[in-house]
Amino acid sequence: MTIRLLAILISSVIFLYVLDLVRRRKLTFKYALAWLFVSAAAVISAIFHKLLFAVAAWLGFELPSNFIFFSLMCVFVVLSLLLTVFLCQQNERNNCMAQKISILESSIADLKKKISP
Amino acid sequence: MTKVLIIIPAFNEAGNVGAAVDQVRRSSVPCDILVVDDGSTDTTAQEARAHKAVVLSLPFNLGIGGAVQTGFKYAREHGYDIAVQIDGDGQHDASYLARLIEPIERQQADLVIGSRFLAPSDGFKSTFTRRVGIRFFVSLINMLTATKITDPTSGFRAYSRKMIASFAMYYPHDFPEPEAVVVAKRANAVILEIPVVMRARQGGVSSIGSIKSLYYMLKVTVAILLHMIRRRERHENDH
Repeated sequence: MTIRLLAILISSVIFLYVLDLVRRRKLTFKYALAWLFVSAAAVISAIFHKLLFAVAAWLGFELPSNFIFFSLMCVFVVLSLLLTVFLCQQNERNNCMAQKISILESSIADLKKKISP
Repeated sequence: MTKVLIIIPAFNEAGNVGAAVDQVRRSSVPCDILVVDDGSTDTTAQEARAHKAVVLSLPFNLGIGGAVQTGFKYAREHGYDIAVQIDGDGQHDASYLARLIEPIERQQADLVIGSRFLAPSDGFKSTFTRRVGIRFFVSLINMLTATKITDPTSGFRAYSRKMIASFAMYYPHDFPEPEAVVVAKRANAVILEIPVVMRARQGGVSSIGSIKSLYYMLKVTVAILLHMIRRRERHENDH
């Protein structure tokens, strides 16, 4: 029974923490959505553990814990893949800005020369 | 009158870049010279400026691909007809410039590569391991894209207006030289090679050691194969 309480407690804390991050504008809606969804699912399955067991049994997992580990693993793999995509996008934008800055700097220098030769 | 821009990517090339700029200016081709200082920590930018080149200073190191692409963006913005990429370390001989841009002026090619392996000559042809690697890339690229190039790793190249526009939008950053050939070919560019003689690197060490070269070859192979499944249109980079 204590382990269930612990599971409910921890998943609730995570859920509330995500809400707090959104409230403090540390997390934008776009990325908060996935986390809200995942942590809400964790809270629900901690409270209604029978439901979790039923789903695990229906999918053919012999132990519900294996189902939990498996789901968590899937969530993290997808999440890290999405983060890598995000990272690449940021990197590309960063490069573009560096290139643009260098070009703008040189045109500013040109303009300055034209104004006061 | 065709406007020609010479793009010299330079990362910590103080002591070399000035000579490279002067050499280009001594060539018979009327052109503007652009040095892209790739986040150098030495006096590369000042030296290039002292030799009357236009200098673009990147705020941090982007690598050769990012530096050359900056040159394409500059060329596109200023309406150049031809861009030529030439190394800042004195490896490439500027006396070939006229021959390099000639096929583009005659509209016979979009991309002209100066090849070390096209004609029998006694210039610098790289070390043995690198030659083996280059031969491997040659077969790979030629097989995948139905080209007949001999020196896909050469960074001595001339680009048409069409290539400038295309590479300003998207230019590979990881292994730019061999990848760019594949990207260009997939954009239906006409690629031509002319024989050139290259000098051994003056100072500085090659970025590839012989032990790592097998891993390097694997990476380039994967990079090239990935280009084959990439969508042809890509505008993400066009900000």
